[in-house]
Amino acid sequence: MIRIRFSFARSETLKHISHLDMMRMFQRALRRSGLPLAYSEGYSPHLRFNFAAPLPVNVTAAEEFGEVFFSGAVSPEQFVSVLSEQLPEGLVLTGARIEDHDAPSLPSLVTAVLYRATLVVEEGCRKGFSQYRQALEHLLGREEILAPRTKKKKKKAYVNVRPYILEAYFKEPENDSPIQLQMLLQAGSRGGVSPFYVIEQLEKELSCDCKYEAYWELHRERLYKEHDQFLQPLSEGM
Amino acid sequence: MQVLDTKMKHLLAQVQKPARYMGNEWNARKKDHAAAAVKMVLAFPDLYEVGMSNQGLKILYDSVNNRPDMLMERVFAPGTDMEALLRDYDMPLFALESGKPLTEFDLIGFSLQYELSYTNTLNMLDLGRIPLFTEQRHDKVPLVIGGGPCAFNPEPLAPFFDFFILGESEECLPEILSLLKDWKKEVTSRQDLLVRFSGQEGVYVPSLYRPVYRGEKLEKLEKEEPGVPEVVKKRLIRDLDNAPYPTAPVIPYMQTIHDRAVVELFRGCSRGCRFCQAGYIFRPVRRRSREKIIETACEQIAKTGYEELSLASLSSTDYPQLDQLIEELDRTLAGEQVKCNLPSLRLDSYSIKLADRLHRGKRSNLTFAPEAATERLRRVIRKNISEEEIFTALGDALDAGWQGFKLYFMIGLPTETETDVEAIVDLCFRIRQYFRRKAGRKISISVSVSTFVPKAHTPFQWEPQLPLADVLARQELLQQGFKKMPGVDLSWHDAETSFLEAVFARGDRRLAQALELAYSLGCRFDGWTEYFSMPLWRQAFQETGVKPEYYAQRRFAYDDVLPWDHLDCGVEREIFIREHRRAFSSDMTDQGEPQ
Repeated sequence: MIRIRFSFARSETLKHISHLDMMRMFQRALRRSGLPLAYSEGYSPHLRFNFAAPLPVNVTAAEEFGEVFFSGAVSPEQFVSVLSEQLPEGLVLTGARIEDHDAPSLPSLVTAVLYRATLVVEEGCRKGFSQYRQALEHLLGREEILAPRTKKKKKKAYVNVRPYILEAYFKEPENDSPIQLQMLLQAGSRGGVSPFYVIEQLEKELSCDCKYEAYWELHRERLYKEHDQFLQPLSEGM
Repeated sequence: MQVLDTKMKHLLAQVQKPARYMGNEWNARKKDHAAAAVKMVLAFPDLYEVGMSNQGLKILYDSVNNRPDMLMERVFAPGTDMEALLRDYDMPLFALESGKPLTEFDLIGFSLQYELSYTNTLNMLDLGRIPLFTEQRHDKVPLVIGGGPCAFNPEPLAPFFDFFILGESEECLPEILSLLKDWKKEVTSRQDLLVRFSGQEGVYVPSLYRPVYRGEKLEKLEKEEPGVPEVVKKRLIRDLDNAPYPTAPVIPYMQTIHDRAVVELFRGCSRGCRFCQAGYIFRPVRRRSREKIIETACEQIAKTGYEELSLASLSSTDYPQLDQLIEELDRTLAGEQVKCNLPSLRLDSYSIKLADRLHRGKRSNLTFAPEAATERLRRVIRKNISEEEIFTALGDALDAGWQGFKLYFMIGLPTETETDVEAIVDLCFRIRQYFRRKAGRKISISVSVSTFVPKAHTPFQWEPQLPLADVLARQELLQQGFKKMPGVDLSWHDAETSFLEAVFARGDRRLAQALELAYSLGCRFDGWTEYFSMPLWRQAFQETGVKPEYYAQRRFAYDDVLPWDHLDCGVEREIFIREHRRAFSSDMTDQGEPQ
């Protein structure tokens, strides 16, 4: 059995699909590729395939990871060249390597993700940079930011997501450059927060009522794992 | 989508399920507009996930796009949130492949699968900035055409459509586009083009016929042009093996209702259930050869990567030597990890055995449609299956390890009494008892009850629909009955929705105004309970002076002129009359096979 770990980027054309859509898309591409796929044992065999972290709808990404198991010999180069032919516009494989069989699973590694949100302003809304910075200060100054979590049996519960915002700051704008917010958010099994929720809360602090004139474009720059109590890019060692 | 301008980006960022509008799927055909001599957009008046589950759409997409000089793109009904955004932003409805507005195509073809999508059809025209009525459209505006089951009685839509294609369009559509291509080089009027089209087999141009009414009744249809046919005959594919069929269908990104490879085993159905329109309009039965089925299945799996294959038809277990086909498919697809399934199973032991062989893995639910709960009523509708057979089949399925059953019934069928409705409760009760004795494990039973809608081109086309109050009373009877039966889950179709469906299924051109008004009042997605509004429809009927009951609840006489009498589905009127009479005669011995 061969285990291949790969990285990919997702651009504008494909950013509107969900995590489950991505799973299906990749699995069907793999099945078309003719590579010797490994299936799980049991009643309904499925592909042994995984992403490091679900990518939200409407987010582009620079460096995502996935892994897949093969029943026969496949080289990383072969994997990239054969699979690339089956992937749609908007998805590019950026690397692959063979992983140890007993290495921990990809999703278990991810502890944080870095997003860049860019404010796209059309007509109307011309809020200044300082207003945004002030709103962010207010937001981060809060001890609690409650986010709804729908638990089983549809009981609504609230979780404080403030601790999950590890870092958030605006890049210093130059001349006409758009307003850009960097967000380092906790992710993985210990809980996380959606970047869209953070932005929604930020907009509330602004009491911004312009619905259509401005919106945020989200880009996921990097995934992180924990290493000696520090965050290290997941790409390290790839 | 080729050009994502800022407006579009903005729209997609705000809308629910943006994958509905993005296009760019695997196997989607993006052709160059400049190089295509004739351009068509196929419009499906329901959401993307519904439309992309329709096999007809995929067949037509291939049949046109395989021609080098032609191009076909797709457009679906936008969700209500997307509609609001399009109107807010003042953007026209666009086709998925190129993102171009509908007005940049030569022809818009609507797939008319059910009557409750008519308001969506008007909405899509409006959002596409196409004048609703044919008479308002000048020569440069795209032609608007329709096809699918509803084209067999398209009269309520007549003023909005330039023409309809009756029957199977995969050969007809490229022919029509070819004519259109030639016409574009000439300088003649649109009227001239329509007259030319009316000479094509299967094409019905409603504006070339004028209905004449006497009082409430339709008296006749007068021809407006001397050359047009008296009766329009449906199109029919004679040889399925040589007909176009997709081998590389578009794979949606988002989950659709049916998201799998589909190979059609045969068209038509030999069963002749008297309520079933599909059983009549798709006659005669034409089979695809076993070799062709296997070849197509393998090619589809290779080009899509689908993990599931559906062997589709109106009654798949009627395919001759189906077990051999399955065996061969099994051998050929071995190692591909493909699950096969057979939709529309009959309730008999043979079908259960086949389902058993096909279905590896977890056995969740089997679906059956006895339609009626008494043998008498099943004979009336010609769903000839005995109670003994039902129990044997269910027993076999239980032995095979199935965990649950879904049973479909209908209420309001001709000759039905309350006794027949109570029998549904009683039959389900006995099935539950039987399961308890036999299974020793929990078996889920869900029962779904729809309301009979008389349809054009069936033996029951003359029959009235049960009045609303009676439908509600019978639904109440069911609810009371099932209340005492824990573990059986009852669901039913909204009575008013079925009423509206019946109005349009047997409607004539006088309904068009009511339809347009209902649409302007805000009716959309009438088949979706969360959007359907009977009060708005009542208002529309009232303000246009239409009595909907006249259409749904009237009994037509044999010598009445029916709104669809000039449309020939290939089954003679005498057969409908014979089948209609037999339904009510006590002599059930002579039930020879149809065709």
